[in-house]
Amino acid sequence: MDRSVSAKIKKWFTSWEAVMLGILLLEIVIFAAKNSKFLMPRVFLGSINDIISICIISLFVTFVMITGGIDIQAGSIVGLTSIVVGVGWQDGGLNIWAAAGLAIVVAALCGAMSGFFVAYCNVQPMVVTLGGSFLFTGIALLVSNMSATESYKGISGFPDSFIKLSKFKLFGVLPSQVLVFLALAVVAYILLHKTKYGRKIFMIGVNQNAAEYSGINTRLIIMSTYVLSAMSAAVAGIVLTSYLGTAKSDLGSTLTLPIITAVVLGGTLSTGGKGSVVGTALAAVVIGILKFGLPLCFKVSQQYLDIPVGLLLLIVVIGRALAANPKVSTWLRGKQKK
Amino acid sequence: MSYLKKILKARAMGSFLFLVLLFFLVGCVNSDFWQPISIMNCFNDSVVFTFLAAGIAFVILTGEIDVSIGAVLGMSSAVGATLLRDGSSWQVAVLAAVLVGALIGLVNGFGVSVLGIPSLIFTLGVNGVVRGLIYVYTGGAWVENLPADYTKFSNQLLIGSLTVFYAFAIVVVLAAHFILTKTRRGKYFIAVGDNISGATLVGIPTRQTKIMAYVLCGVFAAVAGMIYTSRIGFITPTAGNNYEMKAIAACVLGGISLTGGQGSVIGAAIGAIIMSSISRILVFLGFSSDYDNTITGIMLITIVVVTTVMQNRAVIKTKHEILRARTAGSRGAQTEQAATEKGGSV
Repeated sequence: MDRSVSAKIKKWFTSWEAVMLGILLLEIVIFAAKNSKFLMPRVFLGSINDIISICIISLFVTFVMITGGIDIQAGSIVGLTSIVVGVGWQDGGLNIWAAAGLAIVVAALCGAMSGFFVAYCNVQPMVVTLGGSFLFTGIALLVSNMSATESYKGISGFPDSFIKLSKFKLFGVLPSQVLVFLALAVVAYILLHKTKYGRKIFMIGVNQNAAEYSGINTRLIIMSTYVLSAMSAAVAGIVLTSYLGTAKSDLGSTLTLPIITAVVLGGTLSTGGKGSVVGTALAAVVIGILKFGLPLCFKVSQQYLDIPVGLLLLIVVIGRALAANPKVSTWLRGKQKK
Repeated sequence: MSYLKKILKARAMGSFLFLVLLFFLVGCVNSDFWQPISIMNCFNDSVVFTFLAAGIAFVILTGEIDVSIGAVLGMSSAVGATLLRDGSSWQVAVLAAVLVGALIGLVNGFGVSVLGIPSLIFTLGVNGVVRGLIYVYTGGAWVENLPADYTKFSNQLLIGSLTVFYAFAIVVVLAAHFILTKTRRGKYFIAVGDNISGATLVGIPTRQTKIMAYVLCGVFAAVAGMIYTSRIGFITPTAGNNYEMKAIAACVLGGISLTGGQGSVIGAAIGAIIMSSISRILVFLGFSSDYDNTITGIMLITIVVVTTVMQNRAVIKTKHEILRARTAGSRGAQTEQAATEKGGSV
């Protein structure tokens, strides 16, 4: 009993999540040493809005990537959701919460469409979601043209109850966005790691044919992962709209690459079959803190932030590739023995 | 005759027919479109995407992907434009841009083929770094005040209303097609994309080929960047944002399979024309150009879904034929062989 627990602990410490946690702690220590303002919860948590969409969406894009697919349309769904909420409320005369519900349904339909083509027509996921990203960006623009407000201005003037959604703070510290993220992370963790549904997702990623022959409805499950990731994009879109107080059709247009970065950094294999929600969540936070801490503590300009994120991704994937290389790993082991 | 058949069966032919049909239908609605000048402008305007798509076609044909070409375009054009502004001759500027493109391509190729990192992820990381470097290099400012000689050159006509740039694009695309289909080393690209283990077994240097594909892709993106500089006349730090997605879409529209090994550079060039004509066509049809992305998305999804479904049907049909030939016994040996050949050409 004791041994198995210690083995489990040992296994966890050599796992990818532990590496991510290590990088995270390292970041916090370096930033805090440089500038003590960094540790103030108000400053620290106040910047959450810049990264919350990446955090939320990457949780569920992990599902898609574990099945061996890829989803590059999630960013465009954020904008579509935002504008559907705005137009539904302002021009459609809907209750704001009904408009938000409508937006989630619309997003789910978008995800279902792409998922259908991927799962039932065997089209390459990259192409379908590439087409989807064009299509949904376009539709978002058309929806915004239906509104009386010019599209570049964005729709604003939402009711207080909706704006308050993002201004609420638990115990006066934890912003509601963090709560949404934590709640979704728990949901995603349970779905992926504790239910039959999650096991099936992993099986499909390892070998879709074997999964199909063992009686799993692989197509339906693949389709469902796209629906989930689209719905998470919708949640991110609603949270972002509430925070900004403005509905715009081009929100989230730059999110595609950071989302994939977070998922891959979190240890998910792009070929499928391996990955974890905890890893993705940690990676998303690592990227977020990097983007927040560098300007605050090292006066790095916002525009340069693509470099550290890109470098982090490159270093991590190169490191993993080298570690997996038999020559390098035997050399490392030999060194350890001495 | 067999040569004609071969042309008709090529995957790019579908895209070409689609392009002709598109132009024909638009002309039916608004006959102004049929004037040679407006058709020629569709071709001339596609020159940047033609180079980007032709370059990334090399990479996609080997079965990989490169999402950093938008950033490569931005970086190389920033370097080239800065040199031009500071008084260098255009030859020096273009050479510097091409070197930048080749260097980034080399890094991509090294990461993907030597280190064995999935191409989407590696080029994604490179994309981020290069995007940031553009800001570092330009200091976040626009590169403006380029010599008028250079920016005017984009309007230079060769024959009729064909610009020099597009004529150059046609020559390069045809040359690339010739190299890919007729020369020994060129055929390696498609061989690697079609079946990488098979290519290794017959002694094709797969790593070198993939690195070469990435370098060529970078060089093409750099050339596209210099043409972009000439056409636009100034370079912003966000130049080329999202162009990688449009170039990939152009390749897909041109009948190149993202799994590698299928398609041609000519197809990519045709796809680029379709991609960049959409907004112009919308104007002729009396729509606002806001429909641009929607139409692109619908076209992309429709074309890909239809071709994939048809392909899958053909594969299943061939399998059945093979099975039937086998069950027919020794008498069916010949039919089996014929069916296998058919399967190979699908």
